[in-house]
Amino acid sequence: MAVYTDPPSSSATRAPSTKCQRCDTLMRSPVVCEACQALFPVHDANYFDLLGLPRRYAMDDARLREAFRAIARSVHPDRFGDDADDIKELATRLSADVNHAFQALSDPVRRAAYLLEMSGGHGAAESRDVPQAVLTDVMMIREEIEEARAAGDQAALDRHRGAIAQRREQTLGRIAEHAERLASSSDEQKKELRLLLNSMKYYDNLLAELAEDPLKSEAERSRGLKPAARTQDE
Amino acid sequence: MNDAIDSIVGIDLGTTNSLIAFADESGPHLIPGPGGADDVLLPSVVAFDESARIVHIGHEARAHAVERPTTTVHSIKRLMGKGAAELGDELQRLPYRVERRAAADGRDIAVVMVGEKSFTPPELSAVILRELKERAERHLGCRVAKAVITVPAQFDDAQRQATRDAGLIAGLDVLRIINEPTAAALAYGLDRKDRGVIAVYDLGGGTFDISILRLEDGVFEVAATNGDTHLGGDDFDQLLIDLFRGEIRAQFGIDIQSPAIKQQLRTLSENIKKRLSESEAAQIEIGIGADKLYRRTVTGEEFEAMMAPLVERTIEACSRAMRAARMTPADIREVVLVGGSTRVPYVRRRVGEVFDRRPYTALNPEQVVALGAGVQASILAGVRRDMLLLDVTPLSLGIETLGGAMGKLIPANTRIPCRASETFTTFQDGQTRVKIDVLQGERELAKDCRSLGVFELTGVPPMPAGIPKIEVTFLIDQNGILNVSATELRSGQSAGVQIIPSHGLTREEVSRMQKEAIQFAREDMTAHHLIDVRTTLEFDLHKAEQMIRKHGRLLDAHEHETILREISELRAFAHECNDPTMLNERREAFNRKTIPLAERAMTAVLQET
Repeated sequence: MAVYTDPPSSSATRAPSTKCQRCDTLMRSPVVCEACQALFPVHDANYFDLLGLPRRYAMDDARLREAFRAIARSVHPDRFGDDADDIKELATRLSADVNHAFQALSDPVRRAAYLLEMSGGHGAAESRDVPQAVLTDVMMIREEIEEARAAGDQAALDRHRGAIAQRREQTLGRIAEHAERLASSSDEQKKELRLLLNSMKYYDNLLAELAEDPLKSEAERSRGLKPAARTQDE
Repeated sequence: MNDAIDSIVGIDLGTTNSLIAFADESGPHLIPGPGGADDVLLPSVVAFDESARIVHIGHEARAHAVERPTTTVHSIKRLMGKGAAELGDELQRLPYRVERRAAADGRDIAVVMVGEKSFTPPELSAVILRELKERAERHLGCRVAKAVITVPAQFDDAQRQATRDAGLIAGLDVLRIINEPTAAALAYGLDRKDRGVIAVYDLGGGTFDISILRLEDGVFEVAATNGDTHLGGDDFDQLLIDLFRGEIRAQFGIDIQSPAIKQQLRTLSENIKKRLSESEAAQIEIGIGADKLYRRTVTGEEFEAMMAPLVERTIEACSRAMRAARMTPADIREVVLVGGSTRVPYVRRRVGEVFDRRPYTALNPEQVVALGAGVQASILAGVRRDMLLLDVTPLSLGIETLGGAMGKLIPANTRIPCRASETFTTFQDGQTRVKIDVLQGERELAKDCRSLGVFELTGVPPMPAGIPKIEVTFLIDQNGILNVSATELRSGQSAGVQIIPSHGLTREEVSRMQKEAIQFAREDMTAHHLIDVRTTLEFDLHKAEQMIRKHGRLLDAHEHETILREISELRAFAHECNDPTMLNERREAFNRKTIPLAERAMTAVLQET
């Protein structure tokens, strides 16, 4: 299998579709030609280019999966069973990159964060600030959850879970708005997006704490809380 | 005879039984042993005599276990990649002796003692693998040197390395290590070509795995996996053993210590378990001394109550996997049961209850993993291009951070291959080596995770303390095995990485064992060697016959007659001769004689084209 070392050129919004240097087919991803399976050791392509997707926030999940499957399938080391070890190693490294890109882009929060950094905004490591309102809110919810737990009040816990999930959705909606117009965003707006992204972690942690056993039926769950629930009934 | 020289086989190296498969255009097939088409399970048992020579492998070895419990080695998979210190209770249950082999570099390797000799778990697994390899060579009529071997999804890096080492010692190039539930999914997907999410519940002899997979366009994508490497059918047996032992102690005041009776009790308990899968109750009788009899009836209900805590552990692992995959039972199209222990009705019922559907049991739970390994072999060989496996790493990988915490670099359930980088520096002026302790596990503290070993970066350019920036890349390959590389960023020099595995073997040790294993095979397994030579000889004779048929016209009458006579003489000789070396010499001599014919045939073919 051939390996070509010239990296393809890149442009601002979308990598130009590069032609394979070996078979002249238009390539979706700069790292592999799906037609002739030539590998290209490009390790600095951005996640969108790597998967042959437009560099924007809005993303069709099915299309993302389809692109990932097609590229993963061409670049996976199992496809190079007969080739020399260095080709297999390259396929392994490129597969790791493709997997990483897919992992990041399939999560809307990470996707927005990635676009933010691409447009010169702060990364999570550079700015850990969270809006004070979110912190206060989270602290209050946490106290209420503890009370509901102590009282064995399953209905209240369910209510909190619903409320947090709703807040998370709203925040995600605002993230989407920001992330969609990053190209024309001011520094101020970029900072605001960073704050929104940072607050998501708090909601996620709360939801993780309240997560239910996916394999327990409704009946089993209420049975688990019986002693305290009975006290209340009486 | 098959002319394929480069067959890749798929091997399910199990705790209790092992199987081997190959695949052709028509799909995967299990390779049977000497007992005929149904003889596909090779019990993973090796019996030695007192002087540590192998006397039996497989069924005969298992039969021998009662007579020679201390020199019959079973369940070796439980020791793979483990240190003696980690095994704890496990050692109490094994009738053979396991000790710690002290290594100068501080590694802790568990070894099995047979008489005066000690064997590492990879060497013992290699005995099973070699037996399977020979089985395949006889069946396929060609050399088998490449294999796909399956491991429990929860196997960590050390256990995977140990499995690969076992393959190398057995003379197999292990092209790929795949996870058992994923292999099962491949075989399942071959059977039913559709899309959707499936859960594979794999309860074997010694390990439990649950994997959630998405099947689409021939891509088998693992969403999450979880499990327990120390939970399986063996543990169900142990419940019965403990029950009987306790009652015998109470009734007769006898504490069963003799390895022979313990082994007998194990065999009886296995039988009871199997009978309880088919009937409501089962009874055992054990003669105690000359005139006393221990008799006990176990009901299905009673056994279920005993098993319940163990089965609940598997259900908890299922919950963790579902949560990691962000799915509920409604997202799952089918729950596929794999592993001999899923024959237990109680297991089937509980799985059905929690996933809220009847599990899929149309596949033979003992064979499906080997068949899937065969499918993977054909993917690697390029025979199948419509299927691909995308797996995940079962455990988080990290390094110890300040304060003894586990600093995660790659979380569990990350798609593999994957990589992560971390920058290190030096603490002393002119320091040229840096040691990194690499960990695997889900616990918060480094001491509760498993140490994979110490990776020592060498050749760091001497600089003042804290100045070097050494970027270390941790790459988990498609086999779930870690590869580490390092570069000093300021100088751009790549640093060397020396690995001192905590429980594994070094490369030198593996290659020494490989050589020893070959010698060992020569000394102890003359019969096997003889079969090997006979197979190769038959292959060569067959080739010669084919050549004569195709290119006989290139020979004069005398040459023609001589070669045909030699062929029939050599065939007869192969039946009488019991000395593999002598037979091999005759084979080589014959081949030397047919070389000129082969050359002429080749020239003829070239001239024709």
